[in-house]
Amino acid sequence: MWGQYSYGLFVVMAAAVIAFFALSKERDDLHKLLLLDLVEIVGLGVIALLGTDLAEALILPGLTVGIAELLALSQIYCTKEGIRDIPVRGLNIEVIAKADAPLIISLFLVVYGMILSGFTGGAVAGLGLVILFISRSYREDLNLLEMASGISWALWIFAFFVFMFLPQYWFVALMGAAIGILLKVTVKMSLVGTMWGEQHD
Amino acid sequence: MINIGGIPYYILEFGDELVYFTPYTLTLFLLALTFTVLVIISRPEKQVDIAFGGDAYRTKEISLSEMRFRRFMAIACGLASMGAMVTGDIFNFALFTAMVGITNVGIVAAVKSPHVQDAAYQYGLVALAATIPLFAGAAVYAAAIGSLSMIELMKGTLPAVPLIAKVMLVIGVVGEGMAPFYAAKAEMFRAPGAPYVIMCSLSSLLIFLRVVEIVMLG
Repeated sequence: MWGQYSYGLFVVMAAAVIAFFALSKERDDLHKLLLLDLVEIVGLGVIALLGTDLAEALILPGLTVGIAELLALSQIYCTKEGIRDIPVRGLNIEVIAKADAPLIISLFLVVYGMILSGFTGGAVAGLGLVILFISRSYREDLNLLEMASGISWALWIFAFFVFMFLPQYWFVALMGAAIGILLKVTVKMSLVGTMWGEQHD
Repeated sequence: MINIGGIPYYILEFGDELVYFTPYTLTLFLLALTFTVLVIISRPEKQVDIAFGGDAYRTKEISLSEMRFRRFMAIACGLASMGAMVTGDIFNFALFTAMVGITNVGIVAAVKSPHVQDAAYQYGLVALAATIPLFAGAAVYAAAIGSLSMIELMKGTLPAVPLIAKVMLVIGVVGEGMAPFYAAKAEMFRAPGAPYVIMCSLSSLLIFLRVVEIVMLG
């Protein structure tokens, strides 16, 4: 097992060295940030290589920290370069806006996400909604979606209380948690896709 | 159980949250606590520029909202440093260190000056790059010795920690806390706001002192 782990580490190190070499050649600030994000994702491979439940629990905070730093740095980049917000309304590509393909793809992803359920399912279903929202440039009232996200989050937390205090009803709690996190991640992901440049009032 | 930091006074084992105080970590914790309280109660100063060779001087105007944000970031930085001082779990230490890195960037980046923003961005890139060896180091600890607990490491019954894990952990902390890097970033310290900028250097000093203890444990 240790042998496989070492080979995996070697591959990750090689990838990181290539990315850092590219970084040393790069002069553009934005490209540097993107390259570093690439290295970071590869670097998470080191944790993933542990291949245990612990690794899964450790990757999530690692990824969150990476995303937090990426968001902070992109905000600094915008201020530094004096970039103002430009409202983005969909992709505005006629073929995508008229064709049925985005609808079919997103329907497939949503159904598949529901079958998967849980966190992964939510991410897949949310991706489907993102594709639909960015291809069709209509505006919706997003407050309702936000409320749905909040309620499903409460369901998730409630299911955890059932796990802790009424363990004999674990199956109900499991289903509640799976559905709650599915809805929450789906809604959150679809909001990520649609709320660019929206002025919230 | 005698180790580099002294005999622990108190160990709290609550699931994954492992907290302990040795004479060494208690000292560092109190230092972080003192400076956080100082940041909370102190009033910011205005920076004065003096024209060289003349009598002219001028103070810089800093908006209240900017100062408020920087105070918030400095307090968050103090809390993250305190967490990094007392935690007994290597992965939690890595997380607190990464948070120190983010808040350090935040303290400096609130300043609306192009030079300071540019310096903060470049430092942020270093901090982002440093999260990779930091978390990778913690992961190799877990892979090689099968535990992330520093209490277990103290007992000396675990296999030896590979050198590469220690090296990666130290590189990560150096990058996050920008310990040697800020010497080359004078613009960061040209940022006005006296009590808040000091939190950057203090937190990096503290996490560096802590990682020395962690590396010497196993």
